[in-house]
Amino acid sequence: MNQAASLKPSLPDSLSLVALTVAGLLCLPLAYVAHMALSADAAIWSRLWTTRIPELLFNTTALALSVAAGTLVLGVSLAWLVARREFPGRRVWEWALVLPLAMPTYVLAYIYSHLLGAGGPVESAWQILVGPDGRLPSPHSYAGATLVMTLDTFPFVYLLARAAFLNLNVSYEEVARACGVSRAGTLLRITLPLMRPAIVAGLSLVVLYVVSDFGAVSLLRYQTLTYAVYQQITGRYDPTAASILSLLLVVVALVFLVAERWFRQRSRFFQTTGRYRTPGRRQCGPLGATLATVYTTGVFAASFGVPAFMLATWSFSAVSSGALDARFVGFIWNSVSLSGVAATCAVLIGLPLAYLASRRPTRLNLLCLQAAYAGYVLPGPVAALALLAIVSHLAPFWYGTAAVLVIAYVVHFLPAGLQSMEPALQQVTPNLEEASRSLGFGTAATLRRVTLPLVRGGFVAAWVLMFLQSMKELPATLLLRPVGFDTLAVRVWLEASEEYYQLAAPAALLIVIMTIPAILLLLSKDWRAA
Amino acid sequence: MFQSDPMPPPAEQTARAADPHGGAQRPVVLELRNLSCAYGADRPAIADISFSAQEGEIVCLLGPSGCGKTTTLRAVAGFEPVTKGEIRLEGRLVSAPGHLVPTEQRRIGMVFQEYALFPHLRVRDNIAFGLRHLSSDERASKVRLMLEMVGLTALAARYPHELSGGQQQRVALARALVQKPAVLLLDEPFSNLDPDMAGKMREDLHDLLRRTKTTAILVTHDHDEAFAMADRIAVLNNGRLEQLDTPEAIYHTPSTPFVADFVGQADFIPGTIENGTVQTEIGLFPNQAGYPSDAQVVVMIRPDDIHIVPVERSFAHIVGRRFHGSENLYTVGLPSGRVVHSSEPSTTVYPVGTPVELQVNATHTVLFDQRLGP
Repeated sequence: MNQAASLKPSLPDSLSLVALTVAGLLCLPLAYVAHMALSADAAIWSRLWTTRIPELLFNTTALALSVAAGTLVLGVSLAWLVARREFPGRRVWEWALVLPLAMPTYVLAYIYSHLLGAGGPVESAWQILVGPDGRLPSPHSYAGATLVMTLDTFPFVYLLARAAFLNLNVSYEEVARACGVSRAGTLLRITLPLMRPAIVAGLSLVVLYVVSDFGAVSLLRYQTLTYAVYQQITGRYDPTAASILSLLLVVVALVFLVAERWFRQRSRFFQTTGRYRTPGRRQCGPLGATLATVYTTGVFAASFGVPAFMLATWSFSAVSSGALDARFVGFIWNSVSLSGVAATCAVLIGLPLAYLASRRPTRLNLLCLQAAYAGYVLPGPVAALALLAIVSHLAPFWYGTAAVLVIAYVVHFLPAGLQSMEPALQQVTPNLEEASRSLGFGTAATLRRVTLPLVRGGFVAAWVLMFLQSMKELPATLLLRPVGFDTLAVRVWLEASEEYYQLAAPAALLIVIMTIPAILLLLSKDWRAA
Repeated sequence: MFQSDPMPPPAEQTARAADPHGGAQRPVVLELRNLSCAYGADRPAIADISFSAQEGEIVCLLGPSGCGKTTTLRAVAGFEPVTKGEIRLEGRLVSAPGHLVPTEQRRIGMVFQEYALFPHLRVRDNIAFGLRHLSSDERASKVRLMLEMVGLTALAARYPHELSGGQQQRVALARALVQKPAVLLLDEPFSNLDPDMAGKMREDLHDLLRRTKTTAILVTHDHDEAFAMADRIAVLNNGRLEQLDTPEAIYHTPSTPFVADFVGQADFIPGTIENGTVQTEIGLFPNQAGYPSDAQVVVMIRPDDIHIVPVERSFAHIVGRRFHGSENLYTVGLPSGRVVHSSEPSTTVYPVGTPVELQVNATHTVLFDQRLGP
């Protein structure tokens, strides 16, 4: 390491400096929010503590836990079905069950508030059954938020559980059978316990997603910490109270993250070793096949099929009544240009961090990389709050420009991108770079001619991922966008809030359609490995 | 390694007590009749395999990879359905076309190549895994006995990843034996151990199986392992049973060139039947198999049946020597360009190029029809 540095002293040093600066800037929002919250007047703390905080904490954790329970049941049972049973259409369902990931929570939430709302199709059907006085529980409730978030996030658990089912060394199960334990007993006592790490990883993704979600809870008017932070900023403009709630939100997210890390550390020995035989699929009988089909079709229809159909019909009538005007094209352009700039900036910023951490893993460089992951526990409204405060203090002339929005996207989504950039760099052995150096190329030429071509795939994936997440981003965009600068996501939310379902549909449909190929693309790598 | 012995003393001391040709017949525990399994309609894995195992007998399934030995074992375990024939365990029909008694109802024990110890359970819980039907006291005492028997009492609270390979294997064995299985199935149990450890474990396993009078089917591709462990060996090739016999018979009187070649070093010298004897370039051999005149045959000779003596002039010369520690394996070139091998004592060293006379122990040679191979 030191030799490499002394060979080319200037560039690596400047690279380190860049990484250090970037890491510091990425950490700034989190630090600023913490500072604002901790330096707040004790009276504000105690007021919040006696009024809002207990309710918000309870609502947030209750939602997270119920969604976790729901996704656990849905995700694991569906994964088991497609990984261990053979029934007509199994291959199609195996893919289709991933599609709900393409549905942003606010889109699903607005469709369900129409479907289940007063006078909606489900209530009408119910009234045909039980008479005109039949009422259904409102979707604008804990139950409604749970339903929508569960349907939207179960693919996280499904995907990881499916991979675990397929990768499990089947010898464990066969040994259990040889010990005289039935099929069901083996599933409960061997298979599921061995899958615990995968299931927990899936659940922790779900919980982080739920805790930081703004779109669904705001449309369903369910008070969680994220929603409250947004209201504090917009409704009463009380940045101090907002920062206190934000800090709380960050702590909640951190608790879940640390718990997951701790669990993963503890269950390292769960790794299966040695040769393994892939488990076979058992053919379903006619009854089993019917049940399996009904179940998978039902879940798919509820989470993607019906919502996509509604979007398509609404879009059709909206388009035929002239919704696709120049304004709409402007929204598309806003979304695409903003997300494109943000994703490109994020890749450029992430490169030195990931490169240094994998090639010169000194303590400082690794710390810089870790700092970039701070955005993980920075839900959209919190990032927006921090940037609002920082910009109004330090650079008021930037206030209300698109640049602030780009910074928010980068801070928020760089962790997701790094997760794909880092392994791509790790997989390129340093020997290749050393070979290039021995052939007379300098660091920069080596980077350009050897490293970058090899990591292109991972970086393109990172770019696509960050682009799409920026496209879908809602709360920070709502709070930070320049006046009159609407994106597709913002339009969906604004129209849906006013219950103009048809007007919201074309933008929502466009987001979903753009997301699907990318999801399939990103999955196809893991898919084959599993 | 297996110091303490809570089981009653062994009834018989002779290693080959289960020789099916001698002594009182003991009940047949496992019987395969004309068994065939297939992966697909036109992809037979094994075909027409028949053999049986008596109580306490150790049968080895020996063959190269892909020969169907593991498929046979998995069919006995109930993991592979059968397309023809049947399997009987303790007289009960457990596998036949369209009939498959689930594994858990077969009273079998299984030890996998990679042991498949449940990584989330401690050693004692691994062993107790199949004993759910017992009270916790009974369970604990059985596990304790078993741990003593395999010498792992001190490691009862460990997790599998905290054990060495040999220890893991003993846990896997204990987990299978504590069920008192009708038949114990072992799939290449020594292949994950280094050779020294494997030798020691082989002895221990043999001893343990004898003491517990366990009927065992062991799959291996290593003929030394089969010789050391088995009462009888079934040699499989391309899904078919080539020979089922005692280790001695498999080695000395192989029924096919494949078996001869697979179970040890062998040379095949072509010859012709003339005047009731086999004429070859290294001399005459008796026509034990009674081939007709002018038949084309090959003579199978093992290196330990060829002794070389240096002479002044000879048609045969030493062309190579490999030192194996306990023996020197000489390669001897013949005028036809063919080579034969000779096993000589470790201390007998001749230089390459030495002309030698071949002294062949003709009583141990085996004749095959030339058309059979090798």
